[in-house]
Amino acid sequence: MKTLKRTLRYIKKQIWLMVLSMLLAAGASISALFIPIMIGNAIDVIADIEKAGAVEVVGLMFVVVVLLGKTVAAVLVSAVCQQLMSIINNKVTYRVVRDIRNEAFSKIQKLPLKYLDSRPAGETVSNMISDVEQFADGMLLGFSQFFTGVITIFGTLGLMLSINVRVALLVLVLTPMSFLVARFISKHTYEMFKLQSVTRGEQTALIDEIIGNEKVVKSFCHEEEALMTFDEINARLKECSQKAVFYSSLTNPCTRFVNAVVYAVVALAGGFSVWTGALSVGMLSTLLCYANQYTKPFNEITGVITELQNAIACADRIFAFLDEDTEKDSRVLDDVKDNEVHKIEGHIVMNNVRFAYDPKKPLIEDLNLDVRPGQNVAIVGPTGCGKTTLINLLMRFYDIVDGEIIIDGKEIRDMRRHTLRSKFGMVLQDTWIKEATVLENILIGKKGATREEAIEAAKAVHAHSFIKRLPKGYDTVLDEDGSGLSAGQKQLLCIARVMLMQPPMLILDEATSNIDTRTELIISRAFNKLMENRTSFVVAHRLSTIKNADIILVMKDGHIIEQGDHASLIQKGGFYKQLYMSQYRQA
Amino acid sequence: MKRLLVFLKDYKKECVLAPLFKMLEASFELFVPLVIAYLIDKGIVAGQKGVILKAFALLIALGFIGLIASVTAQFFSAKAAVGFATGLRHALFEKLLSLGFPEIDKLGTGAMITRMTSDVNQLQNGVNMFLRLFLRSPFVVFGAMIMAFTIDFDSALIFLVVIIALSFVVFGLMAINVRQVKNVQSKLENVLISTRENLKGVRVIRAFCKEKEESNEFESENAALTKALNRAGNISALMNPLTYVMINCAIILLIHTDALKVAQGTMSQGTVVALYNYMSQILVELIKLANLIVLLNKTLACGNRVSSVFDIEVSQTEGDKTSKDCDEAIRFEHVSLTYPESSEETLSDISFCVNKGETVGIIGGTGSGKSSLVHLIPRFYDATNGTVYVDGIDVKEYTFEGIRKKVGIVMQKAILFKGSIRSNMRWANEKASDDEYLKAVSDAQAKEVVDQKGGIDGDVEPGGKNYSGGQRQRLSIARTLLGKPEILILDDSSSALDYLTDLNLRKAIKALEYKPTVLVVSQRTASIMHADKIIVLDDGHVVGMGKHDELLKTCDVYKEIYDSQYSEEVG
Repeated sequence: MKTLKRTLRYIKKQIWLMVLSMLLAAGASISALFIPIMIGNAIDVIADIEKAGAVEVVGLMFVVVVLLGKTVAAVLVSAVCQQLMSIINNKVTYRVVRDIRNEAFSKIQKLPLKYLDSRPAGETVSNMISDVEQFADGMLLGFSQFFTGVITIFGTLGLMLSINVRVALLVLVLTPMSFLVARFISKHTYEMFKLQSVTRGEQTALIDEIIGNEKVVKSFCHEEEALMTFDEINARLKECSQKAVFYSSLTNPCTRFVNAVVYAVVALAGGFSVWTGALSVGMLSTLLCYANQYTKPFNEITGVITELQNAIACADRIFAFLDEDTEKDSRVLDDVKDNEVHKIEGHIVMNNVRFAYDPKKPLIEDLNLDVRPGQNVAIVGPTGCGKTTLINLLMRFYDIVDGEIIIDGKEIRDMRRHTLRSKFGMVLQDTWIKEATVLENILIGKKGATREEAIEAAKAVHAHSFIKRLPKGYDTVLDEDGSGLSAGQKQLLCIARVMLMQPPMLILDEATSNIDTRTELIISRAFNKLMENRTSFVVAHRLSTIKNADIILVMKDGHIIEQGDHASLIQKGGFYKQLYMSQYRQA
Repeated sequence: MKRLLVFLKDYKKECVLAPLFKMLEASFELFVPLVIAYLIDKGIVAGQKGVILKAFALLIALGFIGLIASVTAQFFSAKAAVGFATGLRHALFEKLLSLGFPEIDKLGTGAMITRMTSDVNQLQNGVNMFLRLFLRSPFVVFGAMIMAFTIDFDSALIFLVVIIALSFVVFGLMAINVRQVKNVQSKLENVLISTRENLKGVRVIRAFCKEKEESNEFESENAALTKALNRAGNISALMNPLTYVMINCAIILLIHTDALKVAQGTMSQGTVVALYNYMSQILVELIKLANLIVLLNKTLACGNRVSSVFDIEVSQTEGDKTSKDCDEAIRFEHVSLTYPESSEETLSDISFCVNKGETVGIIGGTGSGKSSLVHLIPRFYDATNGTVYVDGIDVKEYTFEGIRKKVGIVMQKAILFKGSIRSNMRWANEKASDDEYLKAVSDAQAKEVVDQKGGIDGDVEPGGKNYSGGQRQRLSIARTLLGKPEILILDDSSSALDYLTDLNLRKAIKALEYKPTVLVVSQRTASIMHADKIIVLDDGHVVGMGKHDELLKTCDVYKEIYDSQYSEEVG
């Protein structure tokens, strides 16, 4: 019910269109309802013709022609109303769908990373694509069939009552049977469907795993075992699929049979009424026609209801997504003035910072740090020690649990995220290439930069030479995964973005991990130039790339266990030295 | 498509019976208007009470027999369709598993998974619908027309004209609609790509404050989709009103003609009603048929895609040798490699040999051909020119199983499968004892990982999601070590390990008692500098070979790599 109300909120903007659509629906179904009556009348007149003399025939034929003319008019009115209604329904539905998708997309931009990181991207994509699609299908069906269906049912019933009460009542009593039959079947097939979809899911997961990593499977000669596992699931799927497919296909024949019974009963009761003179043959034919028409919307509505249930389930998922809490931007509402005037020096202080992704597993505890403007900070440590986390906190991808991070005298949670982030240039290990041209990909770094500036930046990071060799140079369109480019080339593009941005501060999280060391050497020269007089953070495995840092933070299990420059840390002979020496020691 | 019909072979009986029973059902439906005509003419007009009752009984009986026929048909068709899909899935899975690496590259895993899942499901549905409806709908349409001809020739002509006209409209609209739907699909695809791209790049987008721009871009793509949806929707919405007008006009025409005939006394009232009923039946079935044809079209496309997989020829054939004693573990003789889809050589004229028990380092920049080189040893790919020998035998002469059990390779990307640590490692050696498991795990420096997950029976989620990159890497090393391969290849498989762990791993491998020949591929000089022999690759060529100290003096590329990682003045 809540979902329905919420859907109505989206429709509200177009309330007049909806009213018009309902009027058209009424017009279409009512004019359609009169057609069988007029045809029945015509048949009756024909019966009269059968008995009439030659003189009367001309007059009666005229009556037939008039009746048929009226029928043509009704048919046309109904058809035009139907078409207009469909156009309006399409318009309304697709507008609602567009609005929901837009809303969901801008929601993605505002959701905390905590939420996005913990949820598979595929799930969000399926919310936005297939759930919305099914929701639209349900809405369309609901609009176009529900209302006309209801009018048709009541209209038919009323007209039948006006023709012959006894037959009408019989129909009224009998038709719910098809309803019951359909319900009975769908209730009993539900379990089978569930089993089928679970088994199918199991099989798909196996296929994903085995076929997705077939090279590994083959390297261990594991094909036969994989096929055996597959066959076991396949056999189970066959069993439950056969049942599910068969039982679900029973609905149609069964409801059809119920309809046939209703039809026969009308023929019987109607036939007797004609016999006793309470009904004309034409009207019997009309009643038979109505009996057919009357059961049809019932079947349709049954279908619509399942479809609607599905649509509501989909809408629930979409709305749940739209209702997720967005990040709060700044604790202080208005920070625009001071931050934009303020010159950025890059003085970063961390006091007693505490953070955990999972409250049960504390990660960073009591972290203190003072980075003076222009200093280069290198973060080293074993995998999973919290290096990347530190960067997540600096960029406010995640907010700290306790303590404070102060940049140039201002706590970062008192800044708007945009203000904070525009101070940093960031390059991550996972390169991200947008489906756009090379140039556009570089221009992400700086809004409004010229082509020349972008090329300049590309030259600075030694990306120019490979870009030049692409089919269309800077205007080559890259696809989503940047396929066609090597990992190193993709990374160079990401670095060019930052080069173009010329940010006040710099974050490099394993930025050169996919680039071979020789190229890295060249790039690091460019980086060094960029890092001059800029506060910067560098995460890397390669100790050689960070030896010249002003401060090296050695992290382990969320703590900074050592801090100092290369020489002093080596002298100290602690964990850093151990890490460093492992590069040289004889294996 | 034809070759897929093989999978219906075991269901010949069902494939005949299902449509047959469907036709039976349809013919019973065709009798209904005749019964009504009989009811009116012989029962009501003639005033025979018994005839009315008889007609009623007949109607119920026709309905009931129709029900039985239809249920029987549905049963057979469900059985045939599901059986078909099951057989097809098995064969397809087997075929996909038989593909060699070059074929896998060409097809792409995404496409392979789609073939296995949605394409096969679509085929199942298509076969089911085909068996159920393909004969029934035309049968009803033409049946109604033939019935009309037996009743009255002039009226039947109206049927003929209407059926032709309706077919034009229905199939024409469908054809247009198919194209529109394609358009919608491609627009939807754009929206999907946009969404996925944004989820993937969320950090970058936020870091560069591009949220607004991305939203704007999405909105314009979404607007294009909405436009396409409206266009497609409005055209397909034409179907109902248009056919409705046509069929009703035909009915009106029919009654008008028949009115004249009744006036002339050549036709009875009941027959008019019967003809009217036949006309109504036609429309429903024609629309069903059109929908079915659209569905079958899609099915056919799926079928062609699937059968093209069966057409793929596996380029590598296996030999029959398993082993031979030889001092030389590996020998490359003038080996070059050009990938099928590529125009340039990835490896050019490579020759070297490795003695048993030696450790060889392979180093070079990204894209220099390191991985390609080692992939030739377990025969993932075949050399385009030259020969690769393992234990003195050409790798092409081994059975696949023989060569791949001999050569253990840890791939660059560490992949774990759903199950437990044990079920993953089992792949390498099914008969390993618990002690062997523990030894392999501790050699791979993965003991702490295993302990943390509660032993070797610890859970592995699909894709090894519950392990970090470094943990996955260590476990995949452990898996290969459990197989005790004679030749162990580490293909940049310690890249996610810190230097200390990497060092300990190298020590443990050195100490293995079965003394494997070891090939280490790396970008780090530290990982390979103590090897017995180092091969330096640059752009697919061997530019240096020898020990660390010699190479420093003789090989510029090696020296540059080394300096970039070690020299003091760089940072």
